Amino acid sequence: MKQENIRNFSIIAHIDHGKSTLADRILEETGAITEREKQDQLLDNMDIERERGITIKLNAVQLNYHYKNEDYLLHLIDTPGHVDFTYEVSRSLAACEGALLVVDAAQGIEAQTLANLYQALDNNLVIIPVINKIDLPNADIDRVKKELMDTIGFDENEILLVSAKTGVGIKELVEAIIERIPAPKGNKNDNLQALIFDSYYDSYRGIVALLRVVNGSIKLGDKIKMMATDAEYSVVELGINNPNEKKVDELLVGEVGFLCASIKNIEDVKVGDTITSAINPASSPLAGYKPMKPMVFCGIYPIESSRYPDLREALEKLKLNDASLQFEPETSQALGFGFRCGFLGLLHMEIIEERIEREFGIELIATSPSVVYEIELTDRTIIEIDSPSKMPERQKIASIKEPYIKTNIFVPSSYIGSIMELCQNKRGNYISMEYLDTTRVNIHYELPLSEIVYDFFDKLKSYTKGYASFDYEMIGYKKSDLVKMDILLNGEMVDAFSLIVHRDFAYNRGRAIVENLRKLIPRQQFEIPIQAVIGTKAIARSDIKAVRKNVLAKCYGGDVSRKRKLLEKQKEGKKRMKMVGSVEVPQEAFLAILSMDEGE
Amino acid sequence: MIKSCYIHIPFCQSICSYCDFCKFYYNEKMVNEYLDALKKEIDTYYKGEQLETLYIGGGTPSVLNLDELTKLLKILKVFNKPSEYTIECNIENITEDKLKIFKKYGINRISIGIQTFNEKHLKYLNRHHTLKSALETIRLVKKYFTNINVDLMYALPNQTLDELNKDIDIFLSLDVPHISTYSLIIEPHTILYNHKEKNIDDELDYEMYKLICNRLSNYEHYETSNFGIIKSKHNLTYWKNLEYYGFGMGASGYVDSIRYDNTRSLNEYLNGNYRKEEIYQTNKLKIENEFILGLRLIEGINIYNFKEKYNLDILDVKNVKELIMDKKLVLTNDNLYIDPKFWYLANDILINFINND
Repeated sequence: MKQENIRNFSIIAHIDHGKSTLADRILEETGAITEREKQDQLLDNMDIERERGITIKLNAVQLNYHYKNEDYLLHLIDTPGHVDFTYEVSRSLAACEGALLVVDAAQGIEAQTLANLYQALDNNLVIIPVINKIDLPNADIDRVKKELMDTIGFDENEILLVSAKTGVGIKELVEAIIERIPAPKGNKNDNLQALIFDSYYDSYRGIVALLRVVNGSIKLGDKIKMMATDAEYSVVELGINNPNEKKVDELLVGEVGFLCASIKNIEDVKVGDTITSAINPASSPLAGYKPMKPMVFCGIYPIESSRYPDLREALEKLKLNDASLQFEPETSQALGFGFRCGFLGLLHMEIIEERIEREFGIELIATSPSVVYEIELTDRTIIEIDSPSKMPERQKIASIKEPYIKTNIFVPSSYIGSIMELCQNKRGNYISMEYLDTTRVNIHYELPLSEIVYDFFDKLKSYTKGYASFDYEMIGYKKSDLVKMDILLNGEMVDAFSLIVHRDFAYNRGRAIVENLRKLIPRQQFEIPIQAVIGTKAIARSDIKAVRKNVLAKCYGGDVSRKRKLLEKQKEGKKRMKMVGSVEVPQEAFLAILSMDEGE
Repeated sequence: MIKSCYIHIPFCQSICSYCDFCKFYYNEKMVNEYLDALKKEIDTYYKGEQLETLYIGGGTPSVLNLDELTKLLKILKVFNKPSEYTIECNIENITEDKLKIFKKYGINRISIGIQTFNEKHLKYLNRHHTLKSALETIRLVKKYFTNINVDLMYALPNQTLDELNKDIDIFLSLDVPHISTYSLIIEPHTILYNHKEKNIDDELDYEMYKLICNRLSNYEHYETSNFGIIKSKHNLTYWKNLEYYGFGMGASGYVDSIRYDNTRSLNEYLNGNYRKEEIYQTNKLKIENEFILGLRLIEGINIYNFKEKYNLDILDVKNVKELIMDKKLVLTNDNLYIDPKFWYLANDILINFINND
């Protein structure tokens, strides 16, 4: 294929704005799939992706299109829409020359869309604004057009109107991709430079790298080198997805495809790295590879301690497909053996937990998520901690800093008051507010990340009846008056319940936690006090009353098997509890710590 | 060596609202066929051991008429006068003639289902005696028998502590040597269950339990729910995990290391298909049962008997040492038992001994 007839593009859209449906429709329009093969949302492979309506891992498909007597090769590179996966978005955008900005005709621009759009603009991509779902009865095309023009600066005549559902405007859209998005610029005679924008593990072939050839070309059997890691391999397999896998002998400049080289170690294939020839290496890699840093940490424990080795195996397998997942062994007095895991964000955390439970069948207890705190000790050294249990003694701490974020909260202007109240409650500092149009605003607050990982999303939803969309960027660390709060059950500290809170919020949160635990922990053989303490001082207390009857009265006519069955049933119930000291704590209690109302 | 036998008579005049045991409405023709089948079952399995205890339970054995009772007791003569021979009776169908027959055939212990004397509760439980008839009947029984048990049920729907206290007053005034108590458990397949009746509040149940323990202090609280001046030898067979025959529909037995449950289907039973389930008791199961049964007794488990039976030191059984350290179990020179403080929670302790791999 001629280089000037190649187009590489991705789609930027908010969850639910119809990105995957639109992608499917484009696949149909270009004949990549027939009606018969159609399965809703072809690009989202994982069950979780389809169920949650989100894209987690990237996909790239090759499409052929005949237009004005020329054959064109289009590569659609899918992007995750969520902020947790911003890095993956940035890498996939770097593999493109253009992007479709898809906006829902009824809802308008959302916060996450904007964040990704700015990234695309940073990468000098050509943006094609598309208003989707114009068939909806509540579509407000004029308002959304005005938003696109006012907030981003598009011309009215640039904006395409489509309905991925009915197919209206799809042909025009594909033609606009060919007309407006430039062909890739690279030089086919230069030394090989190929950008890895995603990778996954296949148990037969090892690591499969998705790549975009930026300069030069790559052939079967070529000796290649990863520029960040210096690892060298021979190319065993090359191919494209259309959307089914198709093997090819060669990928040329501008093309997008996959590569296998019997690579077993995912650390060797870093997303964002450049592949070059081991014989004639390029002088420099493509624009910067940036290691991803986990932002949110939590402990993950198997409910049945015997499944610890299975959990390790599950995490190892998931890591093969997800270099951003970090884990190291951790032990908790309350929960036994488990792992401290680092995630890009809360959604990433939820998805990993769900995949372990679903794909590996291991039931988990996860501790409340923590961010990474920077602690300056009295001897001036600085340490980072990602778990309350690693907090040094109070007298050794000079100061504690915590990560802060800046928000984009898109919300109808009638909710401004609610948002401000919410952010104020979450220790936010107001920065500014922009009107997107007469009815919607983008509110900027500075907030501690730890408040976001607590229950911000749920609260945001309930404060705005689901009308708000939210995105954030990290803005660095700031000093805070933070304390470690412990929870004592029957006088013994339960490490899995410890958390780091702002001193001003400690009383409310402590009270909420002890109250919730009191409701969740069943009655025990003795009265059990539950206390929230800071250092040695209790700031909240509640008591679990002593248990009542648990004895089988009669044993009819020596009917022993009935008695056994009842005992077995009781024993089964106990299995779902963790013994914490002398107290039986149900799994729900560990989860409930994450999402509890303070009851103002 | 088997020393005990349970006989089930599944017929009743009326069905109590809490009962989920094997029972049928009384019917002369059925009783006759049933007794024939029962004889066949006994002839098939009984190997002629000299029994120490024989227990006729139900259902309501006393619902049978004089002829039927005579037929039953003649069949049971095969067991050759065990030293403790019990029959369960209901107030409304005990007659002097029946008592005389019991006496004649060697029965020496009468267990009377009373449950409560409160008329409101009796009605709700669908039982048909009155305080007056009960007192008269018991006076009559005492004319012929001294070894008498009465059943006391508590934690009845909407029962108050005061009502229970009044019941206990009367039970004590009966001056019988044994009282079985049990707190009502609403089981599936019962009338109460179908009425969506709920168990009473835990706190109240506990108060009632304590009240019973306090007020029956003249009796020995020798087993979780049994109080006796004269203990029930038959029940001790169960708690000591000894083998026993069980004959009749829905009966359970334990013979030659097999625990079995008989069918609850009359047709099956009349056709000679007596047993519905037979579970071989491995050593592991035997040890588990030794604990869940033996620890119901105040004296607990005799550690020497245990050692002799299983060639295993009781302290080496999983969780035993921990529970002793926890002060839930008490070890003396001879016995291992549950600290009475924890009787009310016995199940929490017992589950430590089942399904240990």
